[in-house]
Amino acid sequence: MNSKPLHIRLFDEVFSGTGIWPAVPAIIVLTVVAVIPFGVLLSLGFSDIVVSRGVIVSQELSLRHLATALADPLYHTTFQRSITLALTTTFFCTLLGFPVAYLFLIGGPWVRRIILVLTIAPILTSGIVRTYAWIVILGGRGVVNGVLMDLGLISAPLRIINTPWAVVIGMVQIHLPIMILPLIAVMSRHDRRLDEASANLGASRLGTLRHVILPLSVPGLGTGASLVFTLSYTTFVVPQLLGGGNYLNAATMIYEQVVYSLEWSKGAVTAMILMATCLIVLALFAWMTHLATGWTRVAQR
Amino acid sequence: MRLDRAEIMDRLGVGVIVALAIFALALLLLPAVIVVVMSFDTRGYISFPPAGFTLDWYRKVFEQPVLTTAMWTSIKVGLYVTAICILLGVPTALACVRGDFRGATALSVFVLVPHMVPGIVLGVAVLFSGALLGIGPSIWLQSIALSCYVMAVMVRTVMARLQKLDPLLEQASANLGASRWQTFRTITFPLLLPAIMAGAVFTFIEGFDNLSVTIFTHGYRDRPLPIELLAIVQNTNSPLVAAVSSVQILLAMLALAAISLTIGLDRVNE
Repeated sequence: MNSKPLHIRLFDEVFSGTGIWPAVPAIIVLTVVAVIPFGVLLSLGFSDIVVSRGVIVSQELSLRHLATALADPLYHTTFQRSITLALTTTFFCTLLGFPVAYLFLIGGPWVRRIILVLTIAPILTSGIVRTYAWIVILGGRGVVNGVLMDLGLISAPLRIINTPWAVVIGMVQIHLPIMILPLIAVMSRHDRRLDEASANLGASRLGTLRHVILPLSVPGLGTGASLVFTLSYTTFVVPQLLGGGNYLNAATMIYEQVVYSLEWSKGAVTAMILMATCLIVLALFAWMTHLATGWTRVAQR
Repeated sequence: MRLDRAEIMDRLGVGVIVALAIFALALLLLPAVIVVVMSFDTRGYISFPPAGFTLDWYRKVFEQPVLTTAMWTSIKVGLYVTAICILLGVPTALACVRGDFRGATALSVFVLVPHMVPGIVLGVAVLFSGALLGIGPSIWLQSIALSCYVMAVMVRTVMARLQKLDPLLEQASANLGASRWQTFRTITFPLLLPAIMAGAVFTFIEGFDNLSVTIFTHGYRDRPLPIELLAIVQNTNSPLVAAVSSVQILLAMLALAAISLTIGLDRVNE
Protein backbone atom coordinates (compact mmCIF):
# COMPACT_ATOMS: atom_id res chain seq x y z
CA MET A 1 0.00 0.00 0.00
CA ASN A 2 2.84 2.34 0.76
CA SER A 3 4.37 2.01 -2.68
CA LYS A 4 3.12 5.47 -3.72
CA PRO A 5 5.44 8.36 -2.86
CA LEU A 6 4.36 10.47 0.07
CA HIS A 7 3.51 13.62 -1.90
CA ILE A 8 1.17 11.70 -4.23
CA ARG A 9 -0.65 10.22 -1.27
CA LEU A 10 -0.90 13.64 0.33
CA PHE A 11 -2.27 15.06 -2.92
CA ASP A 12 -4.88 12.30 -3.17
CA GLU A 13 -5.82 12.78 0.46
CA VAL A 14 -6.45 16.49 -0.14
CA PHE A 15 -8.48 15.90 -3.31
CA SER A 16 -10.33 12.82 -2.13
CA GLY A 17 -12.78 15.24 -0.58
CA THR A 18 -13.54 12.97 2.34
CA GLY A 19 -11.06 14.61 4.69
CA ILE A 20 -11.16 17.95 6.46
CA TRP A 21 -8.11 19.24 4.53
CA PRO A 22 -9.85 21.38 1.89
CA ALA A 23 -11.56 23.34 4.66
CA VAL A 24 -8.44 24.00 6.71
CA PRO A 25 -7.46 27.35 5.09
CA ALA A 26 -11.00 28.70 5.58
CA ILE A 27 -11.09 27.49 9.19
CA ILE A 28 -7.80 29.26 9.94
CA VAL A 29 -8.88 32.52 8.28
CA LEU A 30 -12.31 32.53 9.93
CA THR A 31 -10.74 31.81 13.31
CA VAL A 32 -8.17 34.57 13.00
CA VAL A 33 -10.45 37.21 11.45
CA ALA A 34 -13.79 36.43 13.11
CA VAL A 35 -13.61 34.12 16.15
CA ILE A 36 -10.56 35.61 17.87
CA PRO A 37 -11.75 39.20 17.25
CA PHE A 38 -15.04 38.36 19.01
CA GLY A 39 -13.02 37.15 21.97
CA VAL A 40 -10.97 40.34 21.83
CA LEU A 41 -14.12 42.48 21.70
CA LEU A 42 -15.49 40.61 24.71
CA SER A 43 -12.27 41.12 26.65
CA LEU A 44 -12.17 44.83 25.75
CA GLY A 45 -15.70 45.20 27.07
CA PHE A 46 -14.34 44.23 30.49
CA SER A 47 -11.24 46.39 30.25
CA ASP A 48 -9.82 49.85 30.61
CA ILE A 49 -7.86 50.58 27.43
CA VAL A 50 -5.52 53.29 26.28
CA VAL A 51 -5.51 54.03 22.56
CA SER A 52 -2.77 55.99 20.91
CA ARG A 53 -2.83 56.72 17.17
CA GLY A 54 -5.20 53.88 16.43
CA VAL A 55 -3.17 51.33 18.38
CA ILE A 56 -4.27 49.87 21.70
CA VAL A 57 -1.20 50.39 23.89
CA SER A 58 -2.48 49.12 27.22
CA GLN A 59 -5.34 47.03 28.47
CA GLU A 60 -6.29 46.48 32.11
CA LEU A 61 -9.12 44.41 33.52
CA SER A 62 -11.87 46.72 34.75
CA LEU A 63 -15.63 46.68 35.02
CA ARG A 64 -15.79 50.47 35.10
CA HIS A 65 -17.10 51.04 31.58
CA LEU A 66 -19.60 48.22 31.71
CA ALA A 67 -20.96 49.43 35.07
CA THR A 68 -21.17 53.05 33.85
CA ALA A 69 -23.02 51.97 30.72
CA LEU A 70 -25.50 49.79 32.59
CA ALA A 71 -26.31 52.67 34.97
CA ASP A 72 -26.48 55.34 32.24
CA PRO A 73 -30.04 56.51 31.46
CA LEU A 74 -28.91 57.38 27.91
CA TYR A 75 -28.13 53.70 27.35
CA HIS A 76 -31.52 52.68 28.75
CA THR A 77 -33.49 54.98 26.45
CA THR A 78 -31.29 54.19 23.45
CA PHE A 79 -31.58 50.42 23.79
CA GLN A 80 -35.28 50.67 24.57
CA ARG A 81 -35.79 52.75 21.44
CA SER A 82 -33.70 50.36 19.31
CA ILE A 83 -35.57 47.27 20.48
CA THR A 84 -38.97 48.96 20.02
CA LEU A 85 -37.96 50.12 16.55
CA ALA A 86 -36.70 46.67 15.54
CA LEU A 87 -39.80 44.91 16.92
CA THR A 88 -42.11 47.41 15.16
CA THR A 89 -40.18 46.82 11.94
CA THR A 90 -40.46 43.04 12.37
CA PHE A 91 -44.20 43.34 13.01
CA PHE A 92 -44.93 45.42 9.91
CA CYS A 93 -42.64 43.29 7.75
CA THR A 94 -44.60 40.21 8.82
CA LEU A 95 -47.89 41.99 8.17
CA LEU A 96 -46.83 42.93 4.62
CA GLY A 97 -44.58 39.95 3.92
CA PHE A 98 -47.06 37.17 4.60
CA PRO A 99 -49.64 38.40 2.05
CA VAL A 100 -46.88 38.51 -0.59
CA ALA A 101 -45.99 34.91 0.25
CA TYR A 102 -49.69 33.98 -0.02
CA LEU A 103 -49.91 35.67 -3.43
CA PHE A 104 -46.77 33.71 -4.41
CA LEU A 105 -48.52 30.50 -3.38
CA ILE A 106 -51.78 31.09 -5.26
CA GLY A 107 -50.24 32.95 -8.22
CA GLY A 108 -49.21 31.56 -11.59
CA PRO A 109 -45.64 31.36 -12.92
CA TRP A 110 -45.61 35.01 -14.00
CA VAL A 111 -46.82 36.29 -10.65
CA ARG A 112 -44.15 34.16 -9.00
CA ARG A 113 -41.44 35.51 -11.29
CA ILE A 114 -42.47 39.12 -10.63
CA ILE A 115 -42.45 38.52 -6.87
CA LEU A 116 -38.98 36.93 -7.05
CA VAL A 117 -37.56 39.83 -9.08
CA LEU A 118 -39.10 42.50 -6.84
CA THR A 119 -37.82 40.71 -3.74
CA ILE A 120 -34.29 39.85 -4.81
CA ALA A 121 -33.48 43.10 -6.69
CA PRO A 122 -33.64 45.25 -3.52
CA ILE A 123 -31.36 42.81 -1.68
CA LEU A 124 -28.75 43.37 -4.38
CA THR A 125 -29.12 47.17 -4.15
CA SER A 126 -27.05 49.25 -1.74
CA GLY A 127 -28.81 50.09 1.52
CA ILE A 128 -27.71 53.72 1.24
CA VAL A 129 -29.32 54.01 -2.19
CA ARG A 130 -32.56 52.53 -0.90
CA THR A 131 -32.56 54.84 2.10
CA TYR A 132 -31.79 57.81 -0.13
CA ALA A 133 -34.92 56.97 -2.12
CA TRP A 134 -36.93 57.70 1.02
CA ILE A 135 -35.26 61.09 1.40
CA VAL A 136 -36.49 61.84 -2.13
CA ILE A 137 -39.98 60.59 -1.32
CA LEU A 138 -40.50 62.01 2.18
CA GLY A 139 -38.36 65.16 1.95
CA GLY A 140 -39.65 68.74 2.21
CA ARG A 141 -40.01 68.98 -1.58
CA GLY A 142 -40.33 65.24 -1.97
CA VAL A 143 -42.88 63.12 -3.76
CA VAL A 144 -45.40 62.90 -0.92
CA ASN A 145 -45.40 66.63 -0.22
CA GLY A 146 -45.37 67.46 -3.95
CA VAL A 147 -48.43 65.32 -4.65
CA LEU A 148 -50.34 66.50 -1.57
CA MET A 149 -49.69 70.16 -2.41
CA ASP A 150 -50.69 69.68 -6.05
CA LEU A 151 -53.93 68.14 -4.90
CA GLY A 152 -54.45 71.15 -2.66
CA LEU A 153 -54.75 69.00 0.45
CA ILE A 154 -52.00 70.91 2.26
CA SER A 155 -50.62 74.40 1.74
CA ALA A 156 -47.21 73.98 3.35
CA PRO A 157 -44.96 70.89 3.18
CA LEU A 158 -45.43 68.39 6.00
CA ARG A 159 -42.42 67.59 8.10
CA ILE A 160 -42.09 63.83 7.61
CA ILE A 161 -38.38 63.31 7.20
CA ASN A 162 -36.25 63.50 10.35
CA THR A 163 -39.10 62.12 12.43
CA PRO A 164 -39.38 58.66 14.01
CA TRP A 165 -42.12 57.86 11.47
CA ALA A 166 -39.72 58.31 8.57
CA VAL A 167 -37.32 55.90 10.28
CA VAL A 168 -40.05 53.27 10.72
CA ILE A 169 -41.25 53.60 7.10
CA GLY A 170 -37.70 53.28 5.76
CA MET A 171 -36.89 50.37 8.07
CA VAL A 172 -39.97 48.39 7.02
CA GLN A 173 -39.43 48.90 3.30
CA ILE A 174 -35.73 48.07 3.48
CA HIS A 175 -36.13 44.87 5.49
CA LEU A 176 -39.30 43.60 3.81
CA PRO A 177 -37.46 41.39 1.23
CA ILE A 178 -35.57 39.66 4.05
CA MET A 179 -38.96 38.63 5.49
CA ILE A 180 -40.43 37.57 2.15
CA LEU A 181 -37.55 35.30 1.02
CA PRO A 182 -37.78 32.64 3.78
CA LEU A 183 -41.58 32.71 3.49
CA ILE A 184 -41.60 32.03 -0.24
CA ALA A 185 -39.05 29.27 0.37
CA VAL A 186 -41.68 27.61 2.55
CA MET A 187 -44.42 28.35 0.03
CA SER A 188 -42.52 26.83 -2.89
CA ARG A 189 -42.26 23.57 -0.94
CA HIS A 190 -45.93 23.77 0.07
CA ASP A 191 -48.04 20.87 -1.16
CA ARG A 192 -51.10 22.36 -2.89
CA ARG A 193 -52.97 19.05 -2.47
CA LEU A 194 -53.32 19.92 1.22
CA ASP A 195 -55.27 23.05 0.24
CA GLU A 196 -57.45 21.03 -2.13
CA ALA A 197 -58.11 18.48 0.59
CA SER A 198 -59.01 21.30 2.96
CA ALA A 199 -61.38 22.80 0.35
CA ASN A 200 -62.95 19.43 -0.34
CA LEU A 201 -63.61 19.07 3.36
CA GLY A 202 -65.62 22.26 3.15
CA ALA A 203 -63.13 24.86 4.35
CA SER A 204 -63.34 28.34 2.88
CA ARG A 205 -60.18 29.87 1.39
CA LEU A 206 -59.67 31.90 4.53
CA GLY A 207 -60.22 28.76 6.59
CA THR A 208 -57.55 26.92 4.58
CA LEU A 209 -55.22 29.89 5.02
CA ARG A 210 -55.81 29.98 8.75
CA HIS A 211 -55.72 26.24 9.47
CA VAL A 212 -53.40 24.81 6.80
CA ILE A 213 -51.13 27.41 5.21
CA LEU A 214 -50.42 29.61 8.24
CA PRO A 215 -49.41 26.76 10.59
CA LEU A 216 -47.14 25.30 7.91
CA SER A 217 -45.43 28.69 7.41
CA VAL A 218 -44.39 29.00 11.05
CA PRO A 219 -40.75 28.01 10.40
CA GLY A 220 -40.50 30.57 7.59
CA LEU A 221 -42.04 33.25 9.80
CA GLY A 222 -39.55 32.40 12.54
CA THR A 223 -36.55 32.61 10.22
CA GLY A 224 -37.81 35.80 8.60
CA ALA A 225 -38.58 37.49 11.91
CA SER A 226 -35.14 36.60 13.33
CA LEU A 227 -33.35 37.96 10.26
CA VAL A 228 -35.41 41.15 10.13
CA PHE A 229 -34.96 41.75 13.84
CA THR A 230 -31.18 41.23 13.75
CA LEU A 231 -30.71 43.48 10.73
CA SER A 232 -33.06 46.26 11.79
CA TYR A 233 -31.72 46.20 15.35
CA THR A 234 -28.13 46.66 14.19
CA THR A 235 -28.42 48.99 11.19
CA PHE A 236 -27.36 52.60 11.37
CA VAL A 237 -27.95 53.74 7.79
CA VAL A 238 -31.69 54.30 8.12
CA PRO A 239 -31.69 56.04 11.54
CA GLN A 240 -28.66 58.09 10.51
CA LEU A 241 -30.15 59.31 7.22
CA LEU A 242 -33.89 59.47 7.92
CA GLY A 243 -33.75 60.33 11.61
CA GLY A 244 -31.96 63.60 10.98
CA GLY A 245 -28.75 62.78 12.81
CA ASN A 246 -30.32 63.09 16.25
CA TYR A 247 -32.23 59.83 16.22
CA LEU A 248 -29.90 57.70 18.27
CA ASN A 249 -30.25 53.93 18.16
CA ALA A 250 -27.73 51.42 19.47
CA ALA A 251 -25.96 51.09 16.13
CA THR A 252 -25.59 54.84 15.53
CA MET A 253 -24.32 55.08 19.11
CA ILE A 254 -21.54 52.55 18.41
CA TYR A 255 -20.72 54.34 15.18
CA GLU A 256 -20.36 57.67 16.97
CA GLN A 257 -18.35 56.24 19.86
CA VAL A 258 -15.91 54.35 17.65
CA VAL A 259 -15.56 56.59 14.59
CA TYR A 260 -16.21 60.12 15.90
CA SER A 261 -15.51 60.48 19.60
CA LEU A 262 -12.94 57.63 19.64
CA GLU A 263 -14.21 56.29 22.98
CA TRP A 264 -13.28 52.72 22.17
CA SER A 265 -13.90 51.30 25.63
CA LYS A 266 -17.46 52.62 25.47
CA GLY A 267 -17.81 51.34 21.92
CA ALA A 268 -16.73 47.83 22.95
CA VAL A 269 -19.23 47.83 25.82
CA THR A 270 -22.06 49.07 23.58
CA ALA A 271 -21.27 46.45 20.91
CA MET A 272 -21.25 43.79 23.62
CA ILE A 273 -24.62 44.86 25.02
CA LEU A 274 -26.01 45.03 21.47
CA MET A 275 -24.87 41.48 20.76
CA ALA A 276 -26.16 40.14 24.09
CA THR A 277 -29.61 41.78 23.81
CA CYS A 278 -29.87 40.64 20.20
CA LEU A 279 -29.17 37.03 21.24
CA ILE A 280 -31.78 37.24 24.02
CA VAL A 281 -34.49 38.43 21.61
CA LEU A 282 -33.47 35.78 19.05
CA ALA A 283 -33.73 33.10 21.73
CA LEU A 284 -37.22 34.39 22.56
CA PHE A 285 -38.16 34.22 18.86
CA ALA A 286 -36.81 30.66 18.64
CA TRP A 287 -38.82 29.70 21.71
CA MET A 288 -42.00 31.25 20.25
CA THR A 289 -41.43 29.47 16.92
CA HIS A 290 -41.00 26.24 18.85
CA LEU A 291 -44.26 26.80 20.76
CA ALA A 292 -46.07 27.68 17.53
CA THR A 293 -44.74 24.55 15.82
CA GLY A 294 -46.07 22.54 18.74
CA TRP A 295 -49.44 24.22 18.25
CA THR A 296 -49.21 23.28 14.57
CA ARG A 297 -48.77 19.62 15.44
CA VAL A 298 -51.84 19.80 17.62
CA ALA A 299 -53.72 21.43 14.77
CA GLN A 300 -52.57 18.73 12.36
CA ARG A 301 -53.95 15.96 14.49
CA MET B 1 -75.11 32.02 -8.98
CA ARG B 2 -76.14 33.48 -5.68
CA LEU B 3 -73.43 34.17 -3.17
CA ASP B 4 -74.18 33.58 0.45
CA ARG B 5 -72.77 35.72 3.21
CA ALA B 6 -69.91 33.37 4.07
CA GLU B 7 -68.76 33.25 0.46
CA ILE B 8 -68.76 37.06 0.24
CA MET B 9 -66.73 37.32 3.44
CA ASP B 10 -64.28 34.76 2.12
CA ARG B 11 -63.76 36.62 -1.16
CA LEU B 12 -63.45 39.90 0.70
CA GLY B 13 -60.82 38.43 3.05
CA VAL B 14 -58.73 37.01 0.23
CA GLY B 15 -59.16 40.29 -1.64
CA VAL B 16 -57.78 42.25 1.32
CA ILE B 17 -54.77 39.93 1.58
CA VAL B 18 -54.03 40.17 -2.14
CA ALA B 19 -54.41 43.97 -1.96
CA LEU B 20 -51.90 44.09 0.91
CA ALA B 21 -49.52 41.94 -1.15
CA ILE B 22 -49.82 44.26 -4.15
CA PHE B 23 -49.26 47.26 -1.89
CA ALA B 24 -46.11 45.59 -0.48
CA LEU B 25 -44.79 44.82 -3.96
CA ALA B 26 -45.43 48.41 -5.10
CA LEU B 27 -43.60 49.58 -1.99
CA LEU B 28 -40.59 47.51 -3.05
CA LEU B 29 -40.58 48.81 -6.61
CA LEU B 30 -41.62 52.49 -6.50
CA PRO B 31 -38.71 54.03 -4.53
CA ALA B 32 -36.20 52.76 -7.09
CA VAL B 33 -38.32 54.05 -9.98
CA ILE B 34 -38.65 57.47 -8.34
CA VAL B 35 -34.87 57.74 -7.82
CA VAL B 36 -34.23 56.94 -11.48
CA VAL B 37 -36.86 59.49 -12.57
CA MET B 38 -35.37 62.22 -10.35
CA SER B 39 -31.87 61.59 -11.69
CA PHE B 40 -32.94 63.12 -15.04
CA ASP B 41 -34.22 66.39 -13.49
CA THR B 42 -32.75 69.63 -14.84
CA ARG B 43 -32.93 71.53 -11.54
CA GLY B 44 -30.04 71.56 -9.10
CA TYR B 45 -32.08 70.30 -6.17
CA ILE B 46 -34.48 67.44 -5.58
CA SER B 47 -38.08 68.57 -6.07
CA PHE B 48 -41.03 66.57 -7.24
CA PRO B 49 -42.30 66.48 -9.96
CA PRO B 50 -39.17 66.84 -12.16
CA ALA B 51 -39.04 69.95 -14.37
CA GLY B 52 -37.19 68.60 -17.39
CA PHE B 53 -34.94 65.93 -18.83
CA THR B 54 -31.14 65.89 -18.88
CA LEU B 55 -28.31 63.38 -18.70
CA ASP B 56 -25.94 66.00 -17.24
CA TRP B 57 -25.93 64.47 -13.76
CA TYR B 58 -24.59 61.20 -15.13
CA ARG B 59 -21.79 63.05 -16.90
CA LYS B 60 -21.00 64.83 -13.64
CA VAL B 61 -20.85 61.54 -11.72
CA PHE B 62 -18.07 60.31 -13.94
CA GLU B 63 -16.31 63.70 -13.91
CA GLN B 64 -15.94 63.75 -10.12
CA PRO B 65 -12.60 62.16 -9.21
CA VAL B 66 -13.85 61.55 -5.65
CA LEU B 67 -16.64 59.36 -6.94
CA THR B 68 -14.73 57.55 -9.68
CA THR B 69 -11.85 56.78 -7.29
CA ALA B 70 -14.32 55.50 -4.70
CA MET B 71 -16.05 53.35 -7.32
CA TRP B 72 -12.73 51.89 -8.40
CA THR B 73 -11.79 51.16 -4.78
CA SER B 74 -15.11 49.40 -4.24
CA ILE B 75 -14.71 47.37 -7.43
CA LYS B 76 -11.28 46.25 -6.16
CA VAL B 77 -12.71 45.30 -2.76
CA GLY B 78 -15.53 43.39 -4.48
CA LEU B 79 -13.00 41.46 -6.60
CA TYR B 80 -10.71 40.70 -3.64
CA VAL B 81 -13.64 39.49 -1.53
CA THR B 82 -14.91 37.31 -4.38
CA ALA B 83 -11.46 35.82 -5.03
CA ILE B 84 -10.93 35.00 -1.33
CA CYS B 85 -14.42 33.53 -1.02
CA ILE B 86 -13.92 31.28 -4.07
CA LEU B 87 -10.46 30.12 -2.99
CA LEU B 88 -11.49 29.36 0.59
CA GLY B 89 -15.21 28.74 0.24
CA VAL B 90 -15.40 26.20 -2.59
CA PRO B 91 -12.98 23.70 -0.95
CA THR B 92 -14.85 24.20 2.33
CA ALA B 93 -18.15 23.35 0.64
CA LEU B 94 -16.52 20.18 -0.74
CA ALA B 95 -15.33 19.19 2.72
CA CYS B 96 -18.74 19.92 4.26
CA VAL B 97 -20.66 17.78 1.76
CA ARG B 98 -18.17 15.02 0.92
CA GLY B 99 -16.34 14.85 4.22
CA ASP B 100 -16.88 11.77 6.35
CA PHE B 101 -14.81 13.02 9.27
CA ARG B 102 -16.32 13.68 12.67
CA GLY B 103 -17.60 17.25 12.94
CA ALA B 104 -18.48 17.74 9.25
CA THR B 105 -21.86 19.12 10.34
CA ALA B 106 -20.23 21.30 12.99
CA LEU B 107 -17.95 22.67 10.27
CA SER B 108 -20.87 23.71 8.06
CA VAL B 109 -22.41 25.52 11.03
CA PHE B 110 -19.08 27.14 11.99
CA VAL B 111 -18.73 28.67 8.51
CA LEU B 112 -22.18 30.26 8.81
CA VAL B 113 -21.54 31.93 12.17
CA PRO B 114 -19.73 35.10 10.99
CA HIS B 115 -22.67 35.83 8.66
CA MET B 116 -25.17 35.52 11.54
CA VAL B 117 -23.33 38.07 13.64
CA PRO B 118 -24.38 41.67 12.98
CA GLY B 119 -21.95 43.30 10.54
CA ILE B 120 -21.42 46.26 12.87
CA VAL B 121 -20.20 43.93 15.65
CA LEU B 122 -17.85 42.09 13.29
CA GLY B 123 -16.53 45.41 11.98
CA VAL B 124 -15.82 46.76 15.47
CA ALA B 125 -14.27 43.45 16.56
CA VAL B 126 -11.90 43.36 13.56
CA LEU B 127 -10.96 47.03 14.00
CA PHE B 128 -10.13 46.54 17.71
CA SER B 129 -8.20 43.32 17.15
CA GLY B 130 -6.19 44.99 14.43
CA ALA B 131 -5.47 47.89 16.77
CA LEU B 132 -4.23 45.45 19.40
CA LEU B 133 -1.70 44.08 16.91
CA GLY B 134 -0.87 47.46 15.40
CA ILE B 135 -2.68 46.71 12.14
CA GLY B 136 -4.62 49.77 11.03
CA PRO B 137 -7.68 49.88 8.80
CA SER B 138 -6.87 49.43 5.11
CA ILE B 139 -8.36 48.07 1.93
CA TRP B 140 -6.82 44.70 2.90
CA LEU B 141 -8.32 44.62 6.38
CA GLN B 142 -11.66 45.60 4.85
CA SER B 143 -11.46 42.88 2.19
CA ILE B 144 -10.50 40.07 4.54
CA ALA B 145 -13.15 41.09 7.12
CA LEU B 146 -15.84 41.23 4.41
CA SER B 147 -14.69 37.87 3.03
CA CYS B 148 -15.24 36.25 6.41
CA TYR B 149 -18.60 38.01 6.66
CA VAL B 150 -19.94 36.68 3.32
CA MET B 151 -18.03 33.41 2.95
CA ALA B 152 -21.17 31.63 4.20
CA VAL B 153 -23.09 32.70 1.08
CA MET B 154 -20.53 31.11 -1.25
CA VAL B 155 -20.25 27.94 0.86
CA ARG B 156 -24.02 27.51 1.06
CA THR B 157 -24.66 28.13 -2.66
CA VAL B 158 -21.95 25.63 -3.67
CA MET B 159 -23.11 23.13 -1.02
CA ALA B 160 -26.69 23.23 -2.34
CA ARG B 161 -25.40 22.40 -5.82
CA LEU B 162 -23.01 19.70 -4.59
CA GLN B 163 -25.76 17.91 -2.70
CA LYS B 164 -27.73 17.59 -5.94
CA LEU B 165 -24.80 16.27 -8.01
CA ASP B 166 -24.94 12.64 -8.99
CA PRO B 167 -21.95 10.92 -7.33
CA LEU B 168 -22.06 8.32 -10.11
CA LEU B 169 -20.58 10.89 -12.51
CA GLU B 170 -17.45 11.15 -10.42
CA GLN B 171 -17.28 7.41 -9.88
CA ALA B 172 -17.57 6.84 -13.62
CA SER B 173 -14.70 9.24 -14.18
CA ALA B 174 -12.59 7.41 -11.59
CA ASN B 175 -13.46 4.04 -13.13
CA LEU B 176 -12.29 5.30 -16.51
CA GLY B 177 -8.90 5.91 -14.97
CA ALA B 178 -8.98 9.62 -14.21
CA SER B 179 -7.00 10.83 -11.24
CA ARG B 180 -8.84 12.69 -8.52
CA TRP B 181 -7.47 16.00 -9.70
CA GLN B 182 -8.56 15.24 -13.28
CA THR B 183 -12.02 14.28 -12.07
CA PHE B 184 -12.29 17.50 -10.11
CA ARG B 185 -11.06 19.60 -13.01
CA THR B 186 -13.15 18.02 -15.78
CA ILE B 187 -16.28 16.79 -13.99
CA THR B 188 -16.94 18.33 -10.58
CA PHE B 189 -15.72 21.87 -11.18
CA PRO B 190 -17.66 22.49 -14.44
CA LEU B 191 -20.81 21.16 -12.78
CA LEU B 192 -20.28 23.50 -9.82
CA LEU B 193 -19.51 26.52 -11.99
CA PRO B 194 -23.05 27.99 -12.10
CA ALA B 195 -23.24 27.90 -8.29
CA ILE B 196 -19.77 29.46 -7.98
CA MET B 197 -20.78 32.22 -10.40
CA ALA B 198 -23.98 32.94 -8.48
CA GLY B 199 -22.05 32.96 -5.21
CA ALA B 200 -19.50 35.30 -6.81
CA VAL B 201 -22.27 37.75 -7.74
CA PHE B 202 -23.40 37.92 -4.11
CA THR B 203 -19.90 38.23 -2.68
CA PHE B 204 -18.97 40.92 -5.21
CA ILE B 205 -22.10 42.94 -4.41
CA GLU B 206 -21.39 42.63 -0.68
CA GLY B 207 -17.79 43.74 -1.16
CA PHE B 208 -18.94 46.64 -3.32
CA ASP B 209 -21.91 47.81 -1.23
CA ASN B 210 -21.36 46.76 2.37
CA LEU B 211 -21.37 49.58 4.89
CA SER B 212 -21.65 47.96 8.33
CA VAL B 213 -18.29 46.16 8.25
CA THR B 214 -16.67 48.62 5.83
CA ILE B 215 -17.20 51.73 7.92
CA PHE B 216 -14.88 50.42 10.66
CA THR B 217 -12.28 48.68 8.52
CA HIS B 218 -11.78 50.72 5.34
CA GLY B 219 -8.51 52.53 4.70
CA TYR B 220 -8.48 56.31 5.19
CA ARG B 221 -6.83 56.80 1.81
CA ASP B 222 -8.89 54.16 0.00
CA ARG B 223 -12.36 55.45 0.72
CA PRO B 224 -14.85 53.04 -0.88
CA LEU B 225 -18.10 54.10 -2.55
CA PRO B 226 -20.53 53.41 0.35
CA ILE B 227 -18.49 55.70 2.62
CA GLU B 228 -18.39 58.52 0.06
CA LEU B 229 -22.05 57.99 -0.74
CA LEU B 230 -23.06 58.21 2.92
CA ALA B 231 -21.19 61.53 3.22
CA ILE B 232 -22.73 62.90 0.00
CA VAL B 233 -26.28 61.85 0.91
CA GLN B 234 -25.94 63.59 4.27
CA ASN B 235 -24.58 66.81 2.83
CA THR B 236 -26.10 67.44 -0.60
CA ASN B 237 -29.54 67.56 -2.09
CA SER B 238 -28.77 67.50 -5.82
CA PRO B 239 -29.89 64.97 -8.43
CA LEU B 240 -26.21 63.98 -8.58
CA VAL B 241 -26.90 61.55 -5.73
CA ALA B 242 -29.90 60.22 -7.63
CA ALA B 243 -27.64 59.63 -10.63
CA VAL B 244 -25.06 57.71 -8.55
CA SER B 245 -27.94 55.73 -7.06
CA SER B 246 -29.32 54.94 -10.50
CA VAL B 247 -25.93 53.62 -11.55
CA GLN B 248 -26.01 51.37 -8.47
CA ILE B 249 -29.55 50.23 -9.29
CA LEU B 250 -28.36 49.34 -12.80
CA LEU B 251 -25.56 47.28 -11.23
CA ALA B 252 -28.13 45.43 -9.09
CA MET B 253 -30.19 44.69 -12.22
CA LEU B 254 -27.12 43.22 -13.92
CA ALA B 255 -26.44 41.09 -10.83
CA LEU B 256 -30.05 39.94 -10.84
CA ALA B 257 -29.79 38.92 -14.49
CA ALA B 258 -26.53 37.07 -13.77
CA ILE B 259 -28.13 35.11 -10.93
CA SER B 260 -31.20 34.17 -12.93
CA LEU B 261 -28.93 32.95 -15.76
CA THR B 262 -26.69 30.86 -13.46
CA ILE B 263 -28.77 29.20 -10.76
CA GLY B 264 -32.22 30.72 -11.31
CA LEU B 265 -33.96 33.16 -8.99
CA ASP B 266 -36.02 30.46 -7.30
CA ARG B 267 -32.81 28.87 -5.99
CA VAL B 268 -31.64 31.99 -4.14
CA ASN B 269 -33.19 30.75 -0.92
CA GLU B 270 -31.09 27.63 -0.74
